[in-house]
Amino acid sequence: MDLIYAILPPKVLAQIFVGLSRTTILFIVSSGLSLILGVLRIPNVAHGSLYMIGAFMAFTISKIFGGGDAGFWAALVGAPLGVALVSLAAERGLFQYLYEREHLMLLLLTFAVSLIFGDLVKIVWGAEYKSVPVPHVFQGYVYLFGGLPFPIYNLFLLIIGPIVAVALWLIVNKTKIGKISRAAAVDREMVGAVGINVSWVFAIVFVIGCLLAGLGGALVAPTVSVTLGMDHTLIIEAFLIVIIGGLGNIWGALLGALIFGLTQSLGILVWSQFGIVFPYAAVIVVLLFRPTGLLKSTW
Amino acid sequence: MLEVKSLSKSFDGFKAVNNANLDVRKGEIVAVIGPNGAGKTTLFNLITGILKPDSGTVHFRGENITGLPSYEICRKRISRSFQVVNIFPRLTVFENVQVSILSREKRTWNLFTPSSKLAVEETNRILESVGLVQKKDRTTALLSHGDRKVLEIAMALGGDPEFLILDEPTAGMAPEETVRCIDLVKHLSEKLGLTILFCEHDMEIVFGIADRIMVMVRGATVVQGSCDEVRCNEAVQDAYLGGSDVCLM
Amino acid sequence: MLRDMLEGRGRIWWAAVVIFMFLLPFILPRFYLYLLSIILLTGLLATSLNLVLGYGGIFQFHHAVFYGAGAYGTALILTKTGLSPWISFIVGPLVSAALGLIMGWICIRLSKLYFAMLQISLGSLVWIIVYRWYSFTGGDDGIHGIPLPDILSSSNNAYYFTLVVTLICLFAMYKVIKSPFGSALQGIRDNPVRCEMIGINVKRHQLLALIIAGFFAGVAGSLFVVVDNTVFPDMLFWTLSLEICIMCLLGGWFTFLGPMLGAAIIIALRTFVSTYTTYWALVLGILMALVIFFLPNGVLGYIEEKIKKGFIEPVIKE
Repeated sequence: MDLIYAILPPKVLAQIFVGLSRTTILFIVSSGLSLILGVLRIPNVAHGSLYMIGAFMAFTISKIFGGGDAGFWAALVGAPLGVALVSLAAERGLFQYLYEREHLMLLLLTFAVSLIFGDLVKIVWGAEYKSVPVPHVFQGYVYLFGGLPFPIYNLFLLIIGPIVAVALWLIVNKTKIGKISRAAAVDREMVGAVGINVSWVFAIVFVIGCLLAGLGGALVAPTVSVTLGMDHTLIIEAFLIVIIGGLGNIWGALLGALIFGLTQSLGILVWSQFGIVFPYAAVIVVLLFRPTGLLKSTW
Repeated sequence: MLEVKSLSKSFDGFKAVNNANLDVRKGEIVAVIGPNGAGKTTLFNLITGILKPDSGTVHFRGENITGLPSYEICRKRISRSFQVVNIFPRLTVFENVQVSILSREKRTWNLFTPSSKLAVEETNRILESVGLVQKKDRTTALLSHGDRKVLEIAMALGGDPEFLILDEPTAGMAPEETVRCIDLVKHLSEKLGLTILFCEHDMEIVFGIADRIMVMVRGATVVQGSCDEVRCNEAVQDAYLGGSDVCLM
Repeated sequence: MLRDMLEGRGRIWWAAVVIFMFLLPFILPRFYLYLLSIILLTGLLATSLNLVLGYGGIFQFHHAVFYGAGAYGTALILTKTGLSPWISFIVGPLVSAALGLIMGWICIRLSKLYFAMLQISLGSLVWIIVYRWYSFTGGDDGIHGIPLPDILSSSNNAYYFTLVVTLICLFAMYKVIKSPFGSALQGIRDNPVRCEMIGINVKRHQLLALIIAGFFAGVAGSLFVVVDNTVFPDMLFWTLSLEICIMCLLGGWFTFLGPMLGAAIIIALRTFVSTYTTYWALVLGILMALVIFFLPNGVLGYIEEKIKKGFIEPVIKE
């Protein structure tokens, strides 16, 4: 114990854990974004809106179930599924017609969709702040390393993160749909030529990616005030994480999220007013030395 | 004039060009032939700086130009055309060639003179010489494939080259267009004294206009020599015709 | 007539339009004059973006940063120093141009989506600094009630100033596009590999284009200070950047006046829609989706296409 404290003062250690919980959320959201970018080549700006919708849905579902523990678990399952449905509609209704178009058009279309989603959220849930209660099991603090208070819910987040990473890795590398989608990412026509309905493969990948955005939203809901505009900075952060990690690389998204989360939480210690500057600066440094990201990109 | 020595380039372990050697003397027409995937286009890309070689050297007029960026190689008056049509689709025929001339004259930093008044005469002259002058105001997207290939050459000429590299100049052309194109290449060599390096699949064309031929197989130079030497070279026949004992053509 | 105007002939028609614009203060009430000024300067901003986006093929996704930098540059000189206000109108655009140089120099090594992302990251950094640095930039409140020289304080004169400056800038940018540099830039947009092969140093040309675009975006920012007397951090936020992209797309990003038209449509529509509903973003989103699906070349691009069809077909037939 003393050794750890000798190297890292408690304050720093506490910030590292805060950063790691933030990393979990960032990773879950950006891994979905990375999946969609890697396979479908869509820079999906609406991904942030889906994260926001996930948080709002978590609020509603949790409320329906009385706001208690049952509500939390129902929200954790229900909100991502709800987001998946919304994204399926968007993919079948809009995006599937534009896969061949330039990135610029795709990006602007997803921006249009994010504007529409933003206002729809305003219509459905209103502009007030919403809050989702932390379930009883996860209330309170644990004391790490003898005396460092750490919210149990954040500990829960730290466990969820690796589970999602492994699950996603299994889906992409071990299942049929994962293999087909990786092949389709490289050569769409060839996969189509061997008799696979690429359009639906893409739809499924898109929905899985968006489901992760919804999951991120549901997980973050108990820790923040759920409000309009919570998507605005998150989507930029998610894009940057995906880029510095290497487009389409899930481990890259994890690495990127770690860099982003940790520089942000530690940056606050260094210079509280401009703590948020550090992750952006880190991104710039990474891209200057590794222009196509830290790990191998699928592009 | 151009000297390529043991040039190599590999992509992810695949040796696209492997120990290629080539020399071209001033005023010659040299053809590079070889089966599909022999690395001809990669070789041209290495010479013109679009790709950087892993090893080997390229000398032009005694000067080492290995690995220089394309725009600097171009300023040494080496121009090329591409196998896949590579032009500016949203500009007109006239503008395509004009940009090339303006670039050679280093006038592309000029921000205020209207370009419509610059290099008009020379552009027209080049278009005239390749036979595109009637179509000069069309957007290039509206041209036939053959015309676009000719426009490629016209753009290369805009750089006022001494050394011209043509990557399958007649690929995909109709027969009469091919004849016109070959005449153009001969004209460039005879009247303007250009040194020309080209690759081509049509052996009739190759043996018809080339002074010397370089044969490439699997990235490596098999032989370089005069038409007759190449025609009856056994290694070439092995590689090209699977060992049959007839001479090419 | 329309064809003449679009193809740069018909000077009389353009002169008529300009004279009409100068007479507007005698007819229009103050609010519309303000609106028109905003349209002009936003159109200038969109046109400056289009210089690199439509003509240069560079994915400049965070153009608003240069707009904001110009506005803050002007505003800070006006409020924090005793320098002549006219200097501030020069400093603002120069700040933007310098920022264009720095960001461009860093980003230009990457292309397409990577370029866009690095730029958004740098731009967000600038935004955060402006947003958090209360003591210098006023933080999220921005700066209000910026003192202007007396001659510009009436809305008529602010309008005239905006109109004249916008016209000069549009003319300058038109010149640039028609210059050899403009030709080279369009060549780079169409085919960068080929451009290198005819001897053009692609990266350096792109960098100069970014600086020029940054400068004119800065001019638009300075004009905003004149018209609105305020600056606020949302002027540098990425959502505004994408809105400007939409203006270019809506008007037609391969046409010179398209972005101006796009800006006019979007701002007029926003003003109109906002009187009925607060859900302007919804309307804009639907409009954008429709444009992307049905008018990929924009309104002006569509009109030009129609005109050209009637003009070229007979030539091909002969």
